[in-house]
Amino acid sequence: MSNREVLQQRLNEVFQDVFDDDELAIFPEMTAADLDDWDSLMHITLVLAVERQFSIRLKAAEVGALENVGQMIALLEKRAA
Amino acid sequence: MTNQLAAQSTPLRDSLKLAKSLISQGQSAQALVLLRNHISPESDFVVQSRAARLLAKLPQGTLGLRPLRVALLASTTVDHLVDLLRLWLALCGIEAEIYLAPYDTMEQTVLDPSSPLYSFKPQLVWLFSVSDDVELATSPNATSAQINTAVLHAVERREQLWRILQDRLSCQLLQNNAELPVDDPFGQMAGTQGWGRRSLLRAYNSQLAIAAPAGVAVFDLDHLSAYWGSARWRDPRLWFHAKHAFCQDATGLVASHAARSVAAQLGLSRKCLILDLDNTLWGGVIGDDGVAGIVLGDGAEGEAFVAFQDYIKALRERGIVLAVCSKNEMTAAQLPFESHPDMRLTLDDFAVFRANWADKASNIRAIAKSLSLGLDALVFVDDNPAERELIRQQLPMVQVIDLPDDPTLYVQSLARAGCFEASSISAEDSQRADNYADNARREDLRLETPDLSKYLESLQMRAQVRAADDISLPRIAQLINKSNQFHLTGLRLSEPELLALDARDDYQIIGVRLTDRFGDNGLVSAVLLHHHNHVLQVDAWVMSCRVLGRTLEEFVANEIVNVAKHRGCRQVVGRYVASPKNALVANLYSRLGFGKLDDDWVLGVRGPEPRWQTPIAGQSFHNTRVRR
Repeated sequence: MSNREVLQQRLNEVFQDVFDDDELAIFPEMTAADLDDWDSLMHITLVLAVERQFSIRLKAAEVGALENVGQMIALLEKRAA
Repeated sequence: MTNQLAAQSTPLRDSLKLAKSLISQGQSAQALVLLRNHISPESDFVVQSRAARLLAKLPQGTLGLRPLRVALLASTTVDHLVDLLRLWLALCGIEAEIYLAPYDTMEQTVLDPSSPLYSFKPQLVWLFSVSDDVELATSPNATSAQINTAVLHAVERREQLWRILQDRLSCQLLQNNAELPVDDPFGQMAGTQGWGRRSLLRAYNSQLAIAAPAGVAVFDLDHLSAYWGSARWRDPRLWFHAKHAFCQDATGLVASHAARSVAAQLGLSRKCLILDLDNTLWGGVIGDDGVAGIVLGDGAEGEAFVAFQDYIKALRERGIVLAVCSKNEMTAAQLPFESHPDMRLTLDDFAVFRANWADKASNIRAIAKSLSLGLDALVFVDDNPAERELIRQQLPMVQVIDLPDDPTLYVQSLARAGCFEASSISAEDSQRADNYADNARREDLRLETPDLSKYLESLQMRAQVRAADDISLPRIAQLINKSNQFHLTGLRLSEPELLALDARDDYQIIGVRLTDRFGDNGLVSAVLLHHHNHVLQVDAWVMSCRVLGRTLEEFVANEIVNVAKHRGCRQVVGRYVASPKNALVANLYSRLGFGKLDDDWVLGVRGPEPRWQTPIAGQSFHNTRVRR
């Protein structure tokens, strides 16, 4: 598996946990519009769960800028340990 | 990488999965017990939020909890709190319907009589303010007079909102005090000078506590932020991004404390602490080690056991009933109480002392029965995980405290479970533990006197009947809200609602105190009477189960007829509304000779007095209203 695929798989686990859905499968183009429960409040929960899982800390500007799964993976590629 | 993913399959998440499958099989009550046993206020926010959504999906009434309409008014974003508040209220026995006012409209919402707040008719309004909302304009070197004026003025702004809400709604209020911000341009001086921001907020918090009248409970946000750690209380990113007043991980802490406080206001807090002995109150096994061999008083652990006993003794003094449930010989179990110099608890502190070899579930059932308490009033403390698991399985209504294997952590384990929160302390509360001990002695006397009427006479009972007043009303409210078994209509009314009714001429609230040769039982029965169309209707009739079987209900029935006569009523009309817990009084009206008419029980007022025989002496209540 490429590093990107590993990150996507780990990120998928976070999505499954936060949205309480073991079947959930994320894809790079996925946005809040694709998930009923992904509103602005859940977005914060999601971002904080991502921070915890990948041991990173995002800036306020980054929290607002993450609009789709692809952007999250790109950010994780840059920042995640 | 596997260890990273492991975070997603913790035991907590497994319980959540199990709860989900229980709910899908229609076993939602078991799911709730499971969640209560596994979720703590500091559990992962994601898990708490998933549990909250799980319960939120259930149709209303599924869990059989006490319904409550709650309005939340906040100057900051608290949407996360709403979900977790609903969860924690459910774990405390309350099914909440929550109205959240739009972000930062607290004052407008209260002031505008046409705001949705008022059509929602909340029974509880939580004013969720934070330190940013407290206006305390003073300058450096302000005089103490200026400081006092600033503080009083800030508190008055809150009081104005309380008055408006209490005028327009009969509801309880929960008012945040102010957490202390960490970063201040004056540094240390913020807390060391009278005019400093932290000093002012501390003064504001004290003044708020003093100013809060009946019906207003202060929510100690300041304490929670300090407990959490004020340096990490607010996440500045979330503050600037979405105006979150505190970091997301602290949400469960805030929600659980609020839920306990609300449950206490509704009379749902627990009353009795059941304690194991060996390795719980002292180290070692008394039956093996003997009085000289147990660990108590000396050394780190010995001192910790003494401190735990001191804490329990203080609970007893504020009115928590104590009981022992231990696998031991009775004589061995009592030995330390009689002869160990470092024991803080004495045998007199316990209302019931059970030391035998029977299983603890049977013993706890027996304790509940002899104290006339429901299992949901009990807390069980035992160092043995097997015993705790047995009680969790057999008696899920009992709250079980997990003790760690280090006694120095016992006090915090019990204290932080928050099972004995209270909204007010009445004289009855601090006397309650004595009352239960008296009751145990009355039971002894009953055994000596097999003839019931002779036994009742030997008790030398006197009742005192009074219209509700400022002193008795909080206790009457407590009784109406806490009583389950002897409660004819199940009607729940908050203190402000009772006050509003008491002010009306067509309502009469009466409280009855009972004393006997063993002591004062306190205010143990109350009735809410409504007079209309020459009929006196008994809207609520409650009695503490401590005084069951003493003919106090006959005595009170005589008083109800008296009130009816004084008011010129022709009939007394009562009603029995069945609940899962009040089968005890299903036949009360029939037993008293009332006639059944549709859903009502009716009694003509004319007839000889007293209508019912009782050995209880006491002067009758006359219809002279005591004006407050």
